[in-house]
Amino acid sequence: MSYSLLAPEIILTILGLVIILIGLLTKDESKNMIGYLSAAGLIASLVYVLGNINGMGTFFYNALVIDPLSQIFKLIFLVVSLLVVIASISYFKDNRNQDEYYALILLSTVGMMVVASANDLVTLFVGFELASMSTYVLAGFEKRNPASLEAALKYFIIGSLSSALMLFGMSLVYGITGSTNIPAIIAYFKTNPLFATSSLDIIAMIFLIAGFGFKMALVPFHMWAPDTYEGSPTVVSSLLAAGSKKMGFVAAFRVLVLALVAIRMDVQMAFAILAVITMTYGNIVAISQRSIKRMLAYSSIAQAGYIALAFVVTTQMSIAGGVLLALGHALMKSGAFIAVAVVGYMVLSDNRNAKNTDDLDNFAGLGKRAPITAFSLFVFFLALAGIPPSAGFIGKFVLFYSITIEAVAQASNWLLFIVIIAILNSALSIYYYARVIRYMYVLPPVGEKIKEPAPYVIAILLAVIGTIGVGIYPEPFIRMAMNAASVVLGV
Amino acid sequence: MAALISLMIAIPLIGAFIAFLTRTREQARSIALLTSGISLVISLILFSRFDSSISTIQFGESYPWIASLGVSLKFGLDGIGMPLVLLSNLVIPLTVLFAWGETKEANKFYGLILLELVGVLGVFTSLDFFVFYIFWEIVLIPMYFLISIWGGPRKDYSAIKFFIYTHVASLVMLLAIFSLYWNTYQITNTFNFDMFTLLKNYSLIESSIFKDAIFLALLFGFLVKMPAVPFHTWLPDAHVEAPTAGSVILAALLLKMGGYGLFRVILPILPYSGSPGKLISLMAIIGVLSILYGTFLALAQRDLKKMVAYSSISHMGYVTLGAAALVPLSVSGAMYQQFSHGLITAVLFMSCGVIQHSAGTRIIHDLGGIAKHMPKLAFLMLAGFLASLGLPGMSGFIAEFLILVNSYFTLPTFVILALFGIVFTAGYHLWAMQRAVFGTYNEKLGHIHDGADYEVLSMAIFILLIIFFGLNPNPVLNMMTTNAEQLLKFVVLRGVIT
Repeated sequence: MSYSLLAPEIILTILGLVIILIGLLTKDESKNMIGYLSAAGLIASLVYVLGNINGMGTFFYNALVIDPLSQIFKLIFLVVSLLVVIASISYFKDNRNQDEYYALILLSTVGMMVVASANDLVTLFVGFELASMSTYVLAGFEKRNPASLEAALKYFIIGSLSSALMLFGMSLVYGITGSTNIPAIIAYFKTNPLFATSSLDIIAMIFLIAGFGFKMALVPFHMWAPDTYEGSPTVVSSLLAAGSKKMGFVAAFRVLVLALVAIRMDVQMAFAILAVITMTYGNIVAISQRSIKRMLAYSSIAQAGYIALAFVVTTQMSIAGGVLLALGHALMKSGAFIAVAVVGYMVLSDNRNAKNTDDLDNFAGLGKRAPITAFSLFVFFLALAGIPPSAGFIGKFVLFYSITIEAVAQASNWLLFIVIIAILNSALSIYYYARVIRYMYVLPPVGEKIKEPAPYVIAILLAVIGTIGVGIYPEPFIRMAMNAASVVLGV
Repeated sequence: MAALISLMIAIPLIGAFIAFLTRTREQARSIALLTSGISLVISLILFSRFDSSISTIQFGESYPWIASLGVSLKFGLDGIGMPLVLLSNLVIPLTVLFAWGETKEANKFYGLILLELVGVLGVFTSLDFFVFYIFWEIVLIPMYFLISIWGGPRKDYSAIKFFIYTHVASLVMLLAIFSLYWNTYQITNTFNFDMFTLLKNYSLIESSIFKDAIFLALLFGFLVKMPAVPFHTWLPDAHVEAPTAGSVILAALLLKMGGYGLFRVILPILPYSGSPGKLISLMAIIGVLSILYGTFLALAQRDLKKMVAYSSISHMGYVTLGAAALVPLSVSGAMYQQFSHGLITAVLFMSCGVIQHSAGTRIIHDLGGIAKHMPKLAFLMLAGFLASLGLPGMSGFIAEFLILVNSYFTLPTFVILALFGIVFTAGYHLWAMQRAVFGTYNEKLGHIHDGADYEVLSMAIFILLIIFFGLNPNPVLNMMTTNAEQLLKFVVLRGVIT
């Protein structure tokens, strides 16, 4: 057993602590290099994860596990953090608190990665809290902006509530099974299915679903998401929507799906309703938004609804589809938020005191004012709407396909209805994406052409390359997702 | 010379990107004409080498793509795809020529036209359902922009209606593709998206309700695109608001994708469906309904372009009717109708565009006697209208004649109903010409000028092509007949019709 598989976490933890030290020792003027340092650390970790994409192993008395599921989610978290850090080099340029910012980003990334690797409920909870605590601070990082403070406070209160619910669910599970080790819990449930134990099982599962549901922002546990994403600094919204939200999914894949299958609790219908309500609500409310950050927030609620379809049928294909869509969503959403950050930069460079920089009106004529940003946003929107060839299309394709075949195999009409609703939702979402695209390309520009700062451009273009790359050459990603799914199902 | 088809698709794609990057409109339009011209030359080479006597796929190409889903890039042509590839390659360069004077954001305009060419060529040549679906969707995006940037006053509404309406239809079709894919997986235990394999295995589905559901989902996807009544409501809006070049591409090429789907996908599985008799009647009813309803609405229109849009619906109704009749010559007539309507409708929409540009209005009532000041346009428009109403000697006549005469064997009642449409078709064409183009000149229009040389040239080439294929249909019709006979062999074998 070699601890080298944990090198990414170790690198990032040490780097995060070192950055705090550097921040104490350097002058404010030279703090801009910290961003590059963090990016370098993330790239090193990313390369390491990619190199060990098929790595396997358990560590610390079964508390952490490295398997295909953890690796693909670590890939997602690292890619998102990397994009966010690159964009932050512009966003937080000359900010004298940069050191804290980057240290928090790195630590929250470590937290997410621990969640992806957690093999024990306690580890899972510690990872969750590490990531959440860091992101609470990040959400309120613009401390002179009341919206940012409101975002942070709301996020903090609701996040704490969800942690409490989750912890209560975990304590019940521990009480029932006598173990916090996930494989042991599953084994217990397998030998003692639902009918053999008390209704405590159901209560425990409901609390876990609620706790994870808050993190995934599924309706009705979603109400923190729009306010938080709208008020936070845009790059942090990117991290929250694209990265930390996926924590909920990986935890659910690892614990919930297995546990529910093991105790043979029939929650197919419950998850189906949750998923359908989530996607429909997200899409319908997104239509009426004029703040693009808020629109993206609702669109990521809708996307969470699609991903949650993976829990409905829990076949290898559907979970692979969910993982693929999570990967695609990470790329598309982080890119889209960073593009909105560029628009904010553009508006502020016109007028230093502008409010509501992400208003739809500011997107008018973006195709002329910031061509790279506008084109990238166009790609992200079409990808989010599921137009081929893009990561969003591949994810939805595999996911919807898996449910269709399950519907046919079980001869179940209502599953087919679920797919049809999902498909109609996907068509509905075009409406609000196309509206922004129209603003960008059809309406006349309201200002001069700007020079898009290099770090933003690099971050956005990386996300575009990722989004289209996964769409054009999905083969390795599908294989990775399939491997991850086989871990989830324990086959 | 093995990779001619992928070359034919790749060149306009590269051309589109170059066109987007050009700075002046002269560069953009030259690139557009050049790359679509090269694509035309390649399609002519393919056409001249094409063997009309065999019904199998020719010039086949295959490259691996997504192995874990069984997707590969397969292209090839047969008698169903070849004429439409030729049509696309004829229409796009001529549209570029017609729109030679475009000034508004010319680089994007020509780039998007080239992307449309890429999309339709992909649809007509790909033999893998996954790739087919991707091209099918890609076609929507440039058209959305063509309508929403260069369109008329209600362009926002029309563009988004077009996009969402047809996207929903494609998604329903995708569900059916999922089912076919899954079915093949059940049988062979391998993932495979090959179109012919998927369609062949359709017959092995056990449940006849399931078979019919798949059939109807596919049919819905194609009928919306054609469009057939009652799924046609996106078309008049899109046409009225689209710029002329957009309307030409929409009517001449995008609608043909729906008809292509009927021949490529629907007819091979029809004999194996759960209740073929009912489905044939359904298609025939929709066909006749489209013919009649389109005709009557065209008769009632005040806007010349809207009239032409409804006439498209009516003409595409013949395609559905001919396909539903399942007689070799009616099916090849339907294929020929697609080819011919592509050429004719281009002239009609171009005429509307020239009139709008010159007179500032397309309302028939506000025009009148414009032949006096626009003699060239009046001549070409008259030729186009006569072709559209089915004058012998022009391509439309052959197609509609074949469809009506041969469909009578199997669907006599429907043919008799459709015949009523013919009278009114002649009626609305001539009536519109009489009111708008001939008669006394409406002095309120002021001084109007004739179409520009490039516009006239483009329309004249179309008229020559219409007459050429009207007098000499064999080069195209032979390959269609070969494939139609092969398609219908199974119909007879299954005893669907006697």
